[in-house]
Amino acid sequence: MNKKTRACILNLIAIVAVYIIVSMMISSGAISRGDRSTLMDIGIAIIMAVSLNLTTGFLGQLALGHAGFMAIGAYTAALITKNLTSVNLAISFPLGLIAGGLMAAVFGIIIGVPALRLKGDYLAIITLGFGEIIRVILNNLPFTGGAMGLNGIKRVTDFNYVYIIVVLVVACLFTLGRSRHGRAILSIRENEVAAESTGIPTTYYKVFAFTLAAFFAGIAGGLYAHKMGNMSPAIFDFNKSIDYLVMVVLGGMGSITGSIISAAVLTLLPELLRFLADWRMLIYSLLLVLMMLFRPKGLLGTAEFSLVAIWDWCAEKMKNAIKRYRAKHPKKSKHVTMPEVPKYDYASFHLPVLETNKLGIRFGGLQAAQDVNIHLMDNEIVGLIGPNGAGKTTVFNMLTGVYRPTEGDITLLGKSIVGKVTHDITANGIARTFQNIRLFKSMTVLENIKVAFQTRMHYSVADGVLRTPKYAQEERGIDLRARELLSVFDMEDVADVRADSLPYGQQRKLEICRALASNPKVLLLDEPAAGMNPIETQELMETIKIIRERFSVAVLLIEHDMKLVMGICERIYVLSYGRIIAEGTPAEISRNPEVISAYLGTAVESEGGEAHAEG
Amino acid sequence: MTLFLNQLINGLQIGSIYALIALGYTMVYGIVKLINFAHGDIIMVGAYAALLAMTGLGVPFYIAIVISMIVCVVVGVVIERVAYKPLRSSPRISSLITAIGVSLFLQNLAQTIFSATPKPFDVKISVAPIVIGDVSINFTTLITIVVSLLLMALLQFIVKSTRTGKAMRAVSEDMGAAQLMGINVNNTISATFAIGCALAAIGAVLYCMAYPQVKPTMGSLPGLKAFIAAVLGGIGIIPGAMLGGLIMGVAESMTKGYISSQLADAVVYGILIFVLLVKPAGLLGKKTSEKV
Repeated sequence: MNKKTRACILNLIAIVAVYIIVSMMISSGAISRGDRSTLMDIGIAIIMAVSLNLTTGFLGQLALGHAGFMAIGAYTAALITKNLTSVNLAISFPLGLIAGGLMAAVFGIIIGVPALRLKGDYLAIITLGFGEIIRVILNNLPFTGGAMGLNGIKRVTDFNYVYIIVVLVVACLFTLGRSRHGRAILSIRENEVAAESTGIPTTYYKVFAFTLAAFFAGIAGGLYAHKMGNMSPAIFDFNKSIDYLVMVVLGGMGSITGSIISAAVLTLLPELLRFLADWRMLIYSLLLVLMMLFRPKGLLGTAEFSLVAIWDWCAEKMKNAIKRYRAKHPKKSKHVTMPEVPKYDYASFHLPVLETNKLGIRFGGLQAAQDVNIHLMDNEIVGLIGPNGAGKTTVFNMLTGVYRPTEGDITLLGKSIVGKVTHDITANGIARTFQNIRLFKSMTVLENIKVAFQTRMHYSVADGVLRTPKYAQEERGIDLRARELLSVFDMEDVADVRADSLPYGQQRKLEICRALASNPKVLLLDEPAAGMNPIETQELMETIKIIRERFSVAVLLIEHDMKLVMGICERIYVLSYGRIIAEGTPAEISRNPEVISAYLGTAVESEGGEAHAEG
Repeated sequence: MTLFLNQLINGLQIGSIYALIALGYTMVYGIVKLINFAHGDIIMVGAYAALLAMTGLGVPFYIAIVISMIVCVVVGVVIERVAYKPLRSSPRISSLITAIGVSLFLQNLAQTIFSATPKPFDVKISVAPIVIGDVSINFTTLITIVVSLLLMALLQFIVKSTRTGKAMRAVSEDMGAAQLMGINVNNTISATFAIGCALAAIGAVLYCMAYPQVKPTMGSLPGLKAFIAAVLGGIGIIPGAMLGGLIMGVAESMTKGYISSQLADAVVYGILIFVLLVKPAGLLGKKTSEKV
């Protein structure tokens, strides 16, 4: 039995067992009325905490207005069940819950689209502002009961409803987290710029995650309203949002099980500390501070509590022999086809794959690049050199849509790409690496690659959550492809290592590898040899040559290491003060007097390696 | 017109208090990138300290202010050393949660010691209001505005022209580099907290003169408002905090006067959202884009 099936069965058994035990305890009276209420509180807190964890832990965006979405869900659901009196509650209540979730999701989009343009603390504050505004508006609407609140809501929330919804929400987040959509969301947390340039539509995924979190919070709100029977807007204030944030951080950002545990503990704690009477909250706050001081990354960090891990640990010795046998006789992997981006046979047309025409950009009064005309033929390795500040990376940024050029045109495979967003350009065939490495640091090497396969994957969110055959097939496909790609770079043995634990040279290699995973026609390398020693540089030269052959890409290369540039480039462009001052073969360039005075300096032949010249 | 002028003056009064508190937020944020949620509760500490000094020790009002400042500075610096310093290299969200924990701790400590019942804060300043036409300006109002403006000018001088101020700016630019240049980073950060807390103490007393009540949770609301003021002006920027505070105060007071006091908060948050959407780094903040 493989690990996944085992995990499924184990978790299913655990879920059903917990349900049966608790249900029996409730019906036999072992769990009192008060305890039952606490159990439901825990369930609602879990939904709130795991959904906030999606925004804060997985997406990495600090949101301080989560209680606002809960309020929207609570009021929507309550108003529906109160007004649909002719319909049986068994129908109107679930209807209300879903409507509450959807209403919260709508607000999630309305708030998320503008707010998610901001980052970090500014995002935190703007969500705080929106959360508070929701509360004030609920206070003043004619049909919400104002500050007095809404009374006489049918108290239909029971343990069954809460438990089922908690299981559904948690399962949904778990499966989502392990799909391409989950990887996309994680990659945004890790490095937004890199995510965009590996083909992830970052804005879409940010709004998606934020909205999904709002949806779940709305459902939790509906449960809450029908548990309490009455509520006022004051309940859903800033402090409520903070409560849930504390649960997320204390459990560990990015750990769903951590959120579950800390939601349960923090809901129980005030009850358990009741004997302390007046000292209760004092002790609670002190525990909070101490907890953060001694475990700043939360209970579980980003790790997940796993039944399987425990099971494995128990069974490890028994299975050792079998594992060794399996390692010696690996199963033959099934061949899986992946949807391919059609290969353009541009070489036969003798047309460049990438061409710029009078490309230029102006930042305020500064003309950073002007009249840049470069072209890349299919399968060509071209160098872009020039003094520091000449505008080389600016050209890359224009080619990849990070900057929008103010003049000129860029043509990729015959189509203009000016004005397109970065992830779109990546999907159309330009991939890049960065001057200072931008990996998805806390993801594994393999996951880094898989993120970049995004442009070639098609299964939907529903496929990912429901684990349809389409999901399974594509995931299996990219797993093979990603490992295959790694093996080209001799990195298959570090596939499951965290990206930031790799040595420097391998991190550079991984970045190139990731860029290739998006199946580019043009690969832009921004100082790939920076910080490498001569041996590593030599290896890099070989690697670039291999890449060109195996992946049939054109390579445009920014580099200061003249040995490398002169050694592998077929043509070289020299950029100085934002203009192309020379173009030609390495031999021509190294003799060009203008280039020598602007960049190379004299004595190119003898010590070209560190040729830096002041512009 | 009279209503307008009255509301404007009221707004300036509360706005300058917000500004004083906002300075503490913004300075701390500027130097350690921490939203110090406990800063609002320093106001409460300052208020209780001043109240106890006057009722318990029987000292005159102006000495009570000094005592309140000293207490706040000590509390603030101790909090920084005990709760924030160990987390300086941890994820920023951890320090944020710690700050929330400290805030809860201070509130509950005050509740345990002083009980939740509000205590009156009586300061009798028997100077007749200044009357200009139909508008009368309370002496308290005038004092508040003048004192705040003076303090802001003083703070600007400290940050721009003193050794400590230069050290603060250096540390906020780059902590590591500042350390390598021989700046004592720990002391500089403590000094920042100390100045912020001293200002909060004065803000507390001024706040109590406007709303003469002291209770354990009194710091939350002005704290939150002041924080929003700091963000509005551009967090980390001292003149921004002043500007943000004054805008918040006036906007709040005008809404109360002309629309509805219930909607005052919504208007304030609305302004914040609008400003952030138009200028994502606040009114005086510079747009920083990540270099690729």
